[in-house]
Formats: sequence, structure tokens, C-alpha cells
Amino acid sequence: MSDAAIIIVMSTITTGIMLGVIFSLVAVGVTIVYGSIWMPNAANGQFFLLASLLAWSASVSWGLHPAVAALLVIGASVPFSYLLEILLVRRFYDVPNRNVSYFVLTLGITQILAGIFSVTYGVWSDQFQLPPIVPGVTLFGPFPIANNRLASMGIATILLAALFALLRFHRYGRALRAVFQNREAAALRGVDVRAIYRMSFILGNGVIFAGGVLFACAYSVDLTVAWTMAVTAFAIMIIGGPGSVLGALVIGMVFGFTQAIVSIFASPTIAAFSYLGAMLVILLFRPSGLFAR
Amino acid sequence: MSLLETKQITMRFGGVVALRNVDVHQDANETLGMIGPNGSGKTTFVNVITGHLRPAAGSLMFDGNSLIGRRPFAIAGAGLTRTFQSVRVFGQLTGRENVAAALVDAQRPLDAEGVAETTHWLGLDSRLDVPAGNLTLFEQRRLELLMRLVQRPKLLMLDEPVGGLSSAEVRAMIALLAELKTRNTIFIIEHTMKVIRELADRVVVLLAGEKIADGPPADILADKRVVENYLGSVDA
Amino acid sequence: MTSTLNRWLPHAVFAVLAFGAPLLLSDNRYFAFIAGITLISVLWATGMNLLYGYTGLMPMMFAGIAGISAYMTIGLAAIGWSFWGAMLVSSLAASLIGVILGLPSLRLRGFYFTLCSLVIQTVITLGFVYFVNLTNGDTGISQIPLPEMPGGGSLSGLAYDMVLAALAVIGTVVLTLIVHSQFGRRLVAIREDDGLAETLGIDVTRQKMIAFFVASVFASIGGALYAPYVGFISPRSFDVLVSLNIWLMVAFGGRGTIWGPVFGAVLLAPVPFLLQDYYTIKDVLYGLLIIGVIVMLPAGIAGGLKGPSRKAAPATLKPERAQ
Repeated sequence: MSDAAIIIVMSTITTGIMLGVIFSLVAVGVTIVYGSIWMPNAANGQFFLLASLLAWSASVSWGLHPAVAALLVIGASVPFSYLLEILLVRRFYDVPNRNVSYFVLTLGITQILAGIFSVTYGVWSDQFQLPPIVPGVTLFGPFPIANNRLASMGIATILLAALFALLRFHRYGRALRAVFQNREAAALRGVDVRAIYRMSFILGNGVIFAGGVLFACAYSVDLTVAWTMAVTAFAIMIIGGPGSVLGALVIGMVFGFTQAIVSIFASPTIAAFSYLGAMLVILLFRPSGLFAR
Repeated sequence: MSLLETKQITMRFGGVVALRNVDVHQDANETLGMIGPNGSGKTTFVNVITGHLRPAAGSLMFDGNSLIGRRPFAIAGAGLTRTFQSVRVFGQLTGRENVAAALVDAQRPLDAEGVAETTHWLGLDSRLDVPAGNLTLFEQRRLELLMRLVQRPKLLMLDEPVGGLSSAEVRAMIALLAELKTRNTIFIIEHTMKVIRELADRVVVLLAGEKIADGPPADILADKRVVENYLGSVDA
Repeated sequence: MTSTLNRWLPHAVFAVLAFGAPLLLSDNRYFAFIAGITLISVLWATGMNLLYGYTGLMPMMFAGIAGISAYMTIGLAAIGWSFWGAMLVSSLAASLIGVILGLPSLRLRGFYFTLCSLVIQTVITLGFVYFVNLTNGDTGISQIPLPEMPGGGSLSGLAYDMVLAALAVIGTVVLTLIVHSQFGRRLVAIREDDGLAETLGIDVTRQKMIAFFVASVFASIGGALYAPYVGFISPRSFDVLVSLNIWLMVAFGGRGTIWGPVFGAVLLAPVPFLLQDYYTIKDVLYGLLIIGVIVMLPAGIAGGLKGPSRKAAPATLKPERAQ
């Protein structure tokens, strides 16, 4: 194979992995929250964007090292989620059909954040990117890849693995799955359902924030990313199976690679069309998703 | 020819076989009972017969027509209707509005006089202008019956009709059903013999999705297999 | 006799207000315009009310259907059709498209229906942006020709407002007639408990389809008349936020009543105009409004009216699907 071909192939592969892990992270975050408290978080794209923008501010405006900025922003997501939970989210825990209520609630939050962004960040700049965590470039044969991207990919992968382990093997994960299946039974077995709800909301959002920050490390971000990410995350969750972390992981990677390959030939709009089409097909023929139990 | 005839009904949920080769038949004006422990597949059976579930195998003939694969509303239209284990009425609507909803697409509805008569027979005359959710459980169960009877069903399947009622109410309901069975063909699903014994001409026993007995109540009570596996442990 | 009076008196009052407002405001084109937009919003809210208030479905593709009708009307008028003929055909076509697009999703319940219709709306908006030859994409279409008047000349100003008023009044009358018909009875049963409705012999899917078609007609006629009135449309004019705004008018005013959504429309439609100077916080305000409505009726969105007849379901993953 010629050098040019190698570069194209490797570029596509690395883009696929990069996008895949970010998509998976966000989809896992959305699925954790949906599977536990039955909240389809329509604001996930805005949270993603919020994380990127805050990290940008922290590193570009305040001059913090991007790694520090990243940790700070992800850390800040905890009180942020906690506040949201206390003020808004917990009111609906016992409401029947709260998934629809939550959907509309998060659409409201989306509106608010979008409005705030358009008059703040939207005015200051078109694109936002964090300075590199790790400078320099590594060569794989003829193919150069920024160390920054490698770091981002690596951290995201570690996070995904840790999440998977947490949910599969740790006590919290078991409790979470018990609550998924049947909250009354779980409560009878001594699980503090409300605490699980709270933790899941915080964890899910934290993961989404992490995705946003890591994405901004590798790529430049503009305000439309919020909408694209929200559609993608929902498509992944619906296709993989709502509440299925494995589904989110696998389909997230699939989407990442699909996007990487498709963007060689066609515009992002086509990709969006195909995600939406795939989501519709699943909704209509197999609403429980591909990885449902 | 039987009014209702099911053959070899098999229903699977994932890997679990909820019903296996169930044969049930019922003639018009014969009161059929079905008993079995919780989880034996009784409600699943009703759901299959009424079109809410599609069985993996089996045939379903009602009044000479095959009903397999038909949608629930079509099956109700054919004259086969059911009530629910947990009473189910339109809680926010008045009793009168509930009955109107039952009449709107009834294929052979009672006329106004018939409706009034049935309402009176069920003791609901003065209770129809209250939101149905505010009625007592017994009243709601009777409203459920009223909603089915105004449709003049050919077969009425009653899923645990005395669930949640006090002993006095159970007695009253049994008396009601005893009179009902003379005018309509009913199929009663219960998990104790108490109600079935007084009302059913014949009883089908379901255990873990399979029919293990089929005969008059006296025979069922004497059937060793039934007593061992089920009745022995239950207050019959 | 009194019940007939009770039923139709509010319509008479509304008719007076609907025709009166543009008359009173005819000196001030700006305020008359706001009144006109409000009247279109009343028509739209009434259509959305049929689906959301009386059938229990939250159709997020409502604006998309209005948009299809608007673009199609403009397209047909551009090749020589009369506006009214174009509007008629486009409204029917858009409504049919609405039913076809919505049909498979009608078997889904609750959130899954909402999500599906949201996806369909997104696809429609993307379509508006992508098929630039038909819609001029994001640039939008301006200089939209006004509808012709039967005696010659164009419909504009006060006459246009009167037409909008007539449609708003007709819309509420039609909804009232539906609500008190057998069809209305079926829809209410479906809204309250569609499983029970089906058990009682109601063909739930078919009724939802019909409701969908009728609501789409409301959306389409409104869309066709919106375009020349405003003079400019773009994909943004018919995107998911617009659907959400119309939904908000219904939820805010009170679903399940004829006049609640009318109030909602009258209260909310002028807001963007009155806040023109504060356009920066418009989105934030709408977001807060949506949240406010949801918080104040937490069970109202799909569950509230299904009160005591259904117990609160434990959090389950699998979507229920009408068989």
C-alpha cells in the first residue's frame, strides 16, 4: 500500500476510534440516567457543550493547564447535577410516565442553555478548542497523530472500561441494575432507591461532561455540536437499547466508525439523516433496541 | 359446536414457556372456571384469547370463526370480552361516560331501556354521575361488569372478579354472578376454588402453563394430582 | 336548551373578539400583525389540542407538517396555481404525508411516540434545509405573493386578518363538534386508557390516525396562510421549537378543554414580539416557561389525566406497545 493510502486508512481508523469512544461515553451517560430514573436527557448535547466551553474558558481565559481545566470542569459537574436533582429532578420520581415529563423538562433546559450560549460564547468566538494536554506528535509509520489526541483517546477508553467494570462488578452497579428491573423489589431488598437515583444522575452527567471535555481536547467545538451530539446520543441509546450500557458502548463505536467513513464521501448532513433513519427503523420494528435483555 | 375452542395454545416469553399446548373448550350457556396458582399462566391465557398476545402456536375458534392474529378490538367486536384482574375503569370519567365509552363501538349494544335495567340490576343507579375513580372497589367491579354487559357479549371472561373484595362483598358478587350466568356465558378465572365451586359447571386447572385437569368441580376436588400439586396447599 | 347555549356562547364571544381585535388595531399595522399571528396560533393550538388534549399524543412533528404545506403552496403558486387551490391541495397532501409519516409511530406509546415524532420532525427540517432547489434552504423564501381576492387584487392588511379570524373561529367550532361527537368520545377513552379502550372494541390505531389527519389539516392550513402573511419563511420557521411552542400553548392554557389552549395561544403568541428588545433572553424565557409548566403539572404531561385507574408503574425499560 502506498503511503497516501496508509495515511487515509489510519486516519479513518483513528478518527473512528476517537469519535467512537466519545460517542460511547456520552451514550453511556445518557443510558445510565435513562435506565435508572427513566429520564431521557434531551439536554445531553448542551451539557456536552457546556463542559467543552467551560474547559475552554478555564484553559484559555484563565490560563490553567488543560488537564487541570478538564478535572475542574468534570468536578464541577457534581454540584451542578446535585443542584439540578434537588431543584427539579427529584420532584418526578413518583410520577407515572415521568419519562415524558423529563423529556420535556430537559428540552426546557436545552432552550435555556442554548439561549445563554448564543449570547455569551456565541458572541465571543466561532470555534473553541483546548490547548493540547500533551504537546507533540507521534509517527506510526508515515502517519502522524497528535499526542494530544492519543491522550484523549486513551483517557476516554480507560474511563469507559472503568464504567463498564463499575456497572458489571461493583456493588453500586448491581444495585443500579436491581433498580432498573424493579424498584419496588430493590427497595424491599434494602436498596436506597433515591440515593441510587441521585448517584446515577450525577454519574451520568459526569460522564457526559467528561466526553465534552475530551472532545474539545481533540477537536474544535462550535455551538451546533450540542444538537448533533444530542441526536447522535439518542440514536445510539435507542438502537443499542435504552438502559443497556453494553449497547451504548458497541453502537457508540459503530457510529464513530460510520461517521469517520461517511465523512470521507459525504457531508455531515447525510450522516445525520442516516442516524435518524436508523433510529426510526429501530423504533418502529424493535423498540427495545438491539441489546435489550 | 363449542362457542370457544382453543387447541394447543403455546406462549413463550423469551426462554420461558408460559403456556404449553393448552386445549380449552366452552359451550354456550356453560359456565367454565379456570383455576391455578399465581403464575400458572391464567392471565396470560386470557391475554392470548383476547388478542393482546400472539401465541407461538395453537388455534382459537370463537363462534365458528378463527380469532388467531386478530386485534383486541376486533375480538371484542366479535363478542368475546374480558375484565381485568386489577379493576380497570376510566377513573377520571363519570360512570355514565364510562358506559358511553363502552357503547360507542359496541357491535350489538343494548338499547337505552336495557342499559337502564342492567344499571339498576347492578345497583349503580345513583352512582353514575361520580368520577369512577371515586367509587368503592366493589362499585368499580360492578361498573366494569356494566360496561361489558351493555355490549351484549357472547362470552365474558372474568379475571379474578372477587379480588380485593371483603367477604360480604364476595358473597354478594357470587350471588350476582350466579344470576348473570343464567343470561350470559361466562368464563371465570380464579385462584381459589371458593368462587368456582359455586358457579362453574366445569373447571380447567392450569399448573405451570399446562392443563392438568378438566371436569366438573366435584371431580376436580377429588383429583389426586390437583389436590397434591395445588389444592392441598390452598384454602379451597 | 341551556346546554346548547353554554356550548356555543363562548364561540360567539370568541368570534366577536377574533374579528374585533384586528378591526380595533387596524390603524397600527404592527399590533394588527401580532393579532394576526395570534389568530394563526389559535388555529394551530386548537389542532394540537385535538391530539394532545383529547387523544393524549404529543406530536412534535406538527410544525413540520405546517411547513410542508407552506412550501408546497408557494411552490404551486409559483407555477401558476391560484393560492386557494394551492392551499387546498397542499393542505391535503401535507396532512396525508403527516399520517403516513406518523402512522408507524402510532403504535408506540408515551415517550416513544414523542421521540419518534421528534425524529420525524428533525428529518423534515433537515429535508427543508437539504433540498435547496425546492425550498431555498436556510436562506429562506422572501417576497411571497399574497393570496388573490375573488374580486381581483390581493388579500392583505385588514382583509387578511379577517380571514385568519374566520379560520380561528371555524377551528374552534370544528373542535367543539368533534369533542361532542362519537369520535370525540373514542378519543377521550383512548387518552384515558388506550388499552381499556381497545378492550371495549375501539380501533385505537384507526382513531389515532383520523385524529392525526384532522390535526394535520389544522397545521397545514395555518402553515399555508402563515407564509404570505409573514412574508418570509425558512426551515427555522417550522422546526421543533415551533412545535414545542404550540405544545406549550396547549399545556399552559389547559389541555382537555376547548378554550384553555385558546387562552394559551392568546397569552403566549404575542410574547416574542413584545420581548423583541430582549431577544437575547427569549430562549431562556421559553425554557423557563417550559420547565414551569412541567413542574406545576408533573403528572399532567401523559399521566395526570390517567388518575386513579392506573397505578404508578415501577420504572421499567421496555416501552409498552399497543398490540
